[in-house]
Amino acid sequence: MRNLQTIGRIILSLVSFVQIKNSNMTKATEDSLYLINYEFPKNIQNVVIKPNLCYYWDFTTGQTTDPKFVAAIIDLARARISPNIHISIVESDASAMKCKYAFKILNYEKLANDCNVKLVNLSEDKNNIVEATAGGQSFRLKVPQTIQNADLKINVPKIKYTMEPIRLTCALKNIFGCNPYSQKFKYHSKLGETIVAINKVMKFDLNIIEGNIVSGIQPRKLGLVMASTDPVAIDTASSEMVGLNPKTIKYLQLAKKEGLGNTTFIPKGEPLEYFKFQYPKKNLQAKLMSKAYTIAVQTGLSKKLGLE
Amino acid sequence: MEKIRLGLIGLGYIGKIHFRHCQKLANAKLVAASDLSKKALKIANDAGVKQKYTNYEQLLRSSDIDAVIIALPTHLHTQCAKQAAEAKKHIFLEKPIARSITEAKEIISATRKNNIKLMVGYPLRFNPAFCKVKERIDEGTLGEIEIAHAAYISTGPFMHRAEAHTPLPVPEWWFNKKLTGGGTLIDLGSHLINLLRWYFGEIANIKSHLGYRFNLDFEDSATCIAKFEHGTLAVINVGWFSQGYHLKIDLHGSVRSLSANHSPSNPISTVIQTLTKGYSKFYEGHFIELQHFVNCLIKDRPPSPSGEDGLKDLEIIEQAYKNQIRLD
Repeated sequence: MRNLQTIGRIILSLVSFVQIKNSNMTKATEDSLYLINYEFPKNIQNVVIKPNLCYYWDFTTGQTTDPKFVAAIIDLARARISPNIHISIVESDASAMKCKYAFKILNYEKLANDCNVKLVNLSEDKNNIVEATAGGQSFRLKVPQTIQNADLKINVPKIKYTMEPIRLTCALKNIFGCNPYSQKFKYHSKLGETIVAINKVMKFDLNIIEGNIVSGIQPRKLGLVMASTDPVAIDTASSEMVGLNPKTIKYLQLAKKEGLGNTTFIPKGEPLEYFKFQYPKKNLQAKLMSKAYTIAVQTGLSKKLGLE
Repeated sequence: MEKIRLGLIGLGYIGKIHFRHCQKLANAKLVAASDLSKKALKIANDAGVKQKYTNYEQLLRSSDIDAVIIALPTHLHTQCAKQAAEAKKHIFLEKPIARSITEAKEIISATRKNNIKLMVGYPLRFNPAFCKVKERIDEGTLGEIEIAHAAYISTGPFMHRAEAHTPLPVPEWWFNKKLTGGGTLIDLGSHLINLLRWYFGEIANIKSHLGYRFNLDFEDSATCIAKFEHGTLAVINVGWFSQGYHLKIDLHGSVRSLSANHSPSNPISTVIQTLTKGYSKFYEGHFIELQHFVNCLIKDRPPSPSGEDGLKDLEIIEQAYKNQIRLD
């Protein structure tokens, strides 16, 4: 189910922007879904929620999804679908992060106990191999059974700057974390194509961005919730908000080309410009430092100087 | 005496820092390095270090080595230091000296028995900013220090590894209290306790409040209140919970107050300092402590901080773990 509008021949996806008021995340999430005309499917059993738990930095840094926000989505899903649905919160081990510690450190174990949901380390889940292509590259990807068996998949990413040439971490990049292979940095030479390929084999139904605290160049309380059924549209909107030109983010363009969504969108709710103004965007110094670090890594200077 | 011939055991995070500093030491030469990982040994190979071992016992058997720098995880200190002492190698041992008082005593006993010099690595004791504070205290220009605050807040083992070009996991041993001997109190607290003991003498009593923000079975923050025998009261705050780095002391004396801190330089200064001097200002204390160790070997003087110093720190830390106060 993709919530779309058409203007002439152009297909546009809906992306909502909602301000969290009085710390009420549930209300903000409800409003964000209402604005994109989203209705939870009925008669389903298995729901998967994928937060962003990239490392051991908790939600106060803006780099990982706030478990309280995930709890709000759980409450909403149970209220709208059925109190008896099975909910799994999924993440996989990464090059520098292990789920067994991240779930504990980031308060997801407590969330699982409080809300009676299951935590699944996808790196330990059974999986099936699926072949996919993206940007002319072929991939053999492991699709975890928990993902495969889900009736509804909800992506709950963060918006972050990341290394060149990817530049933006958001909805599409968060699904990269469903790849159970733990040595993820090995994909870095063709990261854009890998992200798109993984999204092709693991399509999520709904994307809800937790932007209560955003990382940017430094953390800031933005109190933002965004929602869309289109991961490309919500990433395009996010890139505009953080001051990146979506046309320069190659994997976004590739995702559109590969049919994952639209790079055009209709904003709903609060003005994008309001959040763009507030967002802690990269300044010139940060951009130069980022460039210098990339050069230092590429030339091997950073290793020589012990900066890595 | 000719140049001291050094062997470096362990090429992890701190081992690599010592490795770079060894290249710049006067009167010393790094002749051997060991690490379980052949990949880690590559930097030794690239720097022309002739003896490279994946087993430190082989390094200890080499007759070409006068002293070793032990930069291993804490649980490996005792066995390695005892074997080094038996092999008649002088020892520079990373802090904390060991996981427990028993282990620390074993290390000291082995070095005494074999007439070996032992130094425990506490770079704050050689950091120019904190050395100046010591001078001011000794001169009496601050008067009697009534209250001291010391804080060391950082990422601890959770440092920057995810953002590195080749991300590295936090080494598994950091998550195992049996291997570390504790959390941030033994890791960062040992630095501050050692520094304050250097300033004010022995601690008569200490109490602690431990924090568990990360829900792990070891503390990720600690606040200690310590009473020194000579009257100074110190509050010591340590933590692994922050992405930032904050290391600062504030002393309030009967004449005046004084603060000193240590913070990372910006990346450009770091690059320039590393290229010109071989080490950055941030690691100056680490370099000077190693030079001190080498100088002590050459002049046949006891290095400081000694093994006994490291043991005393552990005794205080153990006391702090025992004397916990609960505020909830």
